[in-house]
Amino acid sequence: MNGFLIVNGLSGLLIVSSLLVTLAGNPANSARFYALQSFILVMLFVALAGATGSGELYLWSFTALLTKVILVPAIMVRAFRRLSDPAIGTGAVMPTALSIVGAAVALILCFVVASKVTLPAADAIKPALAVSLALFFIGLACIVAQRNILKQVFGYCLMENGSHLTLALLAPNAPELVEIGIATDAIFAVVVMAALGSRIFDTLHTLDARQLTSLKG
Amino acid sequence: MTAMVSSILPPLLLIGPLAVAVFLLTLPWFRESLPEALATDHGGVTLLERIHLGSIGYVFLLSIAALIQVLSNGAISAFGDWLFVDALGAVFMMLIGVVGLMTGLYSIAYIRHDLESGAIDAGKVRIYYGFFSLFLFTMLLAVTANNIIMMWAAIEATTLGSAFLVGLYGQKSSLEAAWKYVIICTVGVAFGLYGTVLVFANAADVLADPHQAVLWTALVGHAAELDPMLVKLAFVFALIGFGTKAGIFPMHAWLPDAHSEAPSPVSGLLSGVLLKCALLIVIRFYVITVGTVGTGFPQMLLLTLGLLSVGVSSLLFFVQQDLKRKLAYSSIENVGLIVVALGVGGPLGIAAALLHAINHSVTKALFFCSAGNVLMKYGTRDLRAVKGVLRVAPATGLLMMGCALALAGFPPFNIFVSEFMVFMAGLNEGYGWIMALCALFLCITIAGLVKIVADSVLGKSPETMAKGDVGWRALAPLGVLAVLVLILGFAVPQPLSNLVQQATAVVMNGDSRPVVAAPWQTYDKPKYDTARAGGSLVTGSLSQTEISK
Repeated sequence: MNGFLIVNGLSGLLIVSSLLVTLAGNPANSARFYALQSFILVMLFVALAGATGSGELYLWSFTALLTKVILVPAIMVRAFRRLSDPAIGTGAVMPTALSIVGAAVALILCFVVASKVTLPAADAIKPALAVSLALFFIGLACIVAQRNILKQVFGYCLMENGSHLTLALLAPNAPELVEIGIATDAIFAVVVMAALGSRIFDTLHTLDARQLTSLKG
Repeated sequence: MTAMVSSILPPLLLIGPLAVAVFLLTLPWFRESLPEALATDHGGVTLLERIHLGSIGYVFLLSIAALIQVLSNGAISAFGDWLFVDALGAVFMMLIGVVGLMTGLYSIAYIRHDLESGAIDAGKVRIYYGFFSLFLFTMLLAVTANNIIMMWAAIEATTLGSAFLVGLYGQKSSLEAAWKYVIICTVGVAFGLYGTVLVFANAADVLADPHQAVLWTALVGHAAELDPMLVKLAFVFALIGFGTKAGIFPMHAWLPDAHSEAPSPVSGLLSGVLLKCALLIVIRFYVITVGTVGTGFPQMLLLTLGLLSVGVSSLLFFVQQDLKRKLAYSSIENVGLIVVALGVGGPLGIAAALLHAINHSVTKALFFCSAGNVLMKYGTRDLRAVKGVLRVAPATGLLMMGCALALAGFPPFNIFVSEFMVFMAGLNEGYGWIMALCALFLCITIAGLVKIVADSVLGKSPETMAKGDVGWRALAPLGVLAVLVLILGFAVPQPLSNLVQQATAVVMNGDSRPVVAAPWQTYDKPKYDTARAGGSLVTGSLSQTEISK
């Protein structure tokens, strides 16, 4: 039972780290916080593997370590370092306090939803399940409430971490190839977004989503 | 579920375009002189164009071969059932093969024009053809995937593969369109992932072997054992997620931008094929959901979103002045109508949805490519400046007129046949008022289309405009598409009718054979009776005794 306690405890840290990713001053720092969050996620996978006795999850933790803790943040730091648009500041549309309150409300709502899930596999890990769903919606909010297009990329990363965690919690014995498929796709998505973001910065000299409004109607 | 025949065709189909894409896109990394060699002319066609032609021809031939195999032997599979093509997937695979070939052929003339006019440089030409093949590959992967996680990954990959095609011109507006496309679709499809994960996690709990829980065919077989609450939740997520990609309102925001900013052949491919591939995944989730919770819940959602899509897009269609944006809104409308038909349900509704998907695909690809001709000739998409196409470029003008009439749903064009089926299905299932609303919205579209014909196709051409059509390379593929539009409007060919019937049986998860034909095809007595009994001809309910007569 202790294993599940660690899982639920670590999931709380995921919420904190997702707020750090969202609220960080610039994209490169967001990338570092994203690496931190992914590391927590890996720890969580290991704890979950111990608690459920799933061999596949150990493999998952390893691939997640390679892709999410090392590769993706490295790509992002490298790509985003030279891109900066002082005109938009942090790019946040909402004040910080409001973002935190919003995340708390999302978390409470997700607890309500998770408590209704009747799957036997979900019994011991309902708090973590709620967090995984909340992570998904915090990611969505990060995209909607961000003017900096590079930080919108992190919103997607948070959403993807959320889905990944749900998958691990509900189906710890999923075939390894499933997990590799998701991880590979995430890498490509980040590479394409980073490439497009750089093209936009080079051509338009801005990272502000509000400047991208020439197409209407 | 009947056993699937193992076949080499699905992997063969995938490997061709993938190999071409990888070759063309990674070329400069290992040989610097090769890009120049590609641009050298061999009898009027460059080496690069030959490779592209080989790729689209390969996809066309293999998809037709796989189609024939499916029609004669039933579903085929490969790699331990991870890849499979059933009749349902074959409908969409056929669209990729046929529309991919025609838009690919049209690309030759279009991209040459862009190169000559300086809109793109030689490097971009290579990138265009590379990503064109990659785009075909990702769509083929989406329609041949049996593994639901792979389905999701393939739909996500279609976005990543086509984003650079949308942003090809590298201008402010095209980059903006590409960015919106990537962000909205990846976020949307992230919802799809969540839905997929929920279904999989649920099935992994129910099925003994987790490796089976990932296969769509196994999920359909065990749908009744899944948790109703989770499946409902998963369907909502999947509908939002893959519906974003299919252009269903209110997740359609990316679509007009991407369709208008992409090179015209790509617009045709996006509208004609990509939207339909995403719809296929929605249909696959629909089948699972119906197996678990019955038809009520999913049909209610589909009818609501479908009707909203038709309504909103018809109004936006009417007020648009940009030809390609106008066509993009028309795509949303037609996708909406397909979704309405799915929501209506019943064998006839499903068959109508599938036939309309096919018909719209061919017609819209033709219309976008005709719009490409207009763009080549007039240099603008603004309908206030495009006047008198028929005088300036007679063949293009005629094609545009045909497309507009077809899209308006007039006989003897193909859209009429499938729209007629949609309405018959709706009336038979008792959705009279929804059909009445749809008809009202379609009238608004007809008005908009008539305006295109009256002002832009007919109208008075600008004095300064040089007369003369675009070259034969741009017209020939459009001619073929136009012939298809007419043939499908005249009568639904027997093999196609068989295919749609078999695909309907896959969706209904049983053997139901609705009459798939133009209304005037049911002239002989037995066929008339079946069509009447099946509801394709008359409205209102028939008493059982009347059917048995």
